[in-house]
Amino acid sequence: MVSTQKSLVLKGTMLIVAGMLFMACGNETQKDESVSSAKDSVVSVESETNTVSYSLPSPLQIASIFKKSGLKYQDGITTSQKDPSKYTTNLSKSLNLGVYSADLSYCVLNKQNQEAMNYMKLCRQLAENLGMGTVFEQSNLSKRFEKNIGNEDSLAYIIAELQMVTDMYLDENEQPQITAIVFSGAWIESMYLGSRIYEKSKDKSMNTKLTEQMTILGSIVNALKAVQKKDPAIDGLIADVQSIKDIYDQLPSVKANPIKDDEDKDITLTDEEVLKLTKRISELRAKFING
Amino acid sequence: MKKIFLISFIGLVFSYAFTPIQATDNIDKNALTTSCRKKMEPYKYDSQKFTRINYQKKAQQLEVEIPVFVGEKYRLVFNLTAMPVAPIGINVYTKPKESGKREVIYTNKGLSPDEKELVFDAPRLRKLFVDYDVPADSTDQKLSGYILFMVGYK
Repeated sequence: MVSTQKSLVLKGTMLIVAGMLFMACGNETQKDESVSSAKDSVVSVESETNTVSYSLPSPLQIASIFKKSGLKYQDGITTSQKDPSKYTTNLSKSLNLGVYSADLSYCVLNKQNQEAMNYMKLCRQLAENLGMGTVFEQSNLSKRFEKNIGNEDSLAYIIAELQMVTDMYLDENEQPQITAIVFSGAWIESMYLGSRIYEKSKDKSMNTKLTEQMTILGSIVNALKAVQKKDPAIDGLIADVQSIKDIYDQLPSVKANPIKDDEDKDITLTDEEVLKLTKRISELRAKFING
Repeated sequence: MKKIFLISFIGLVFSYAFTPIQATDNIDKNALTTSCRKKMEPYKYDSQKFTRINYQKKAQQLEVEIPVFVGEKYRLVFNLTAMPVAPIGINVYTKPKESGKREVIYTNKGLSPDEKELVFDAPRLRKLFVDYDVPADSTDQKLSGYILFMVGYK
């Protein structure tokens, strides 16, 4: 009897030790996974000890820059495609979330309240389709937006908060590719709006601002390349964005005045050059919007 | 037999309960973001980035490229409260690390390790390059943590 009890205790002890060993091994695996996921969350990995990642601006900042340079509201140039269910792939959903975000920012900064409300709803629907619906529920963003309609500063603050919550969500869920794709869509739409307004006004400061936007193209391409493993569909988007950079780099005004990263100078493009860029931007915008 | 399973089960529960959890994995990212945004005032929020730092046997250099626009004013806020008590260099440059001639425009060198929130108002440039210099960890403690930086514009 005593021998049986001893045997039981021994077996039990062995099982506990085995259990602890098992848990310890499991924990080591967890640590390995956390290291691996940490590497994934960083946009790009060149080697184990040297990493480069990218932090892209918000669509609201780009709209704000254009607004400061005198961009006026022009009716009917924002996207008329208002059926988010049309977009079925993550790429098209993300790109058009960017397009809607740019239109939302443009409308808010130009006090187009009803249009701003419409684009806010469209952003929410697309975010829900991407599984990011919770970001709109945080801090009652949608309700606060409706409540503050007419107050440009408050709405801009709420959009910035929405951007912050979205950034946090995508970071938490390790989806840096969505950040890069959404920004690509927003950038194309912002450039489309800016170039359409330039077409009419021929305003020099708008010309300068459009050119200035081109300097971040390299960062957009690199940010997309850094996450292309996360979604094979990004390959085509990289080629699309790169095609604008290729056109820009070959423009005579640009070739004659190459700008370095630490230089504070402006380039003014000829109307013909702007037209060349606008044509390609419009083509890509139509491609994105048509899904 | 039941006793064996009971003892084993209790053992497993205990071993799980006392498994060390890296505190940095349980950080409150919301709190860090809120704190950074306060330091950002009166600049407007533009973007933010959490970078996971894993100290390794080899020194590392992690770089974040931030495209900015010449005519705008920018502020960068770094939050180090989710970092372990270990040295880390934060430097902001005018050019990427592969560029030979780059100028450091901000460094945390010489600052007290107790300063957990660092604010830097950037000069007019087209790009900023934030470098985290993570020294080698010879102690094999597997230290890790997060740095948050936030970008704001005026």
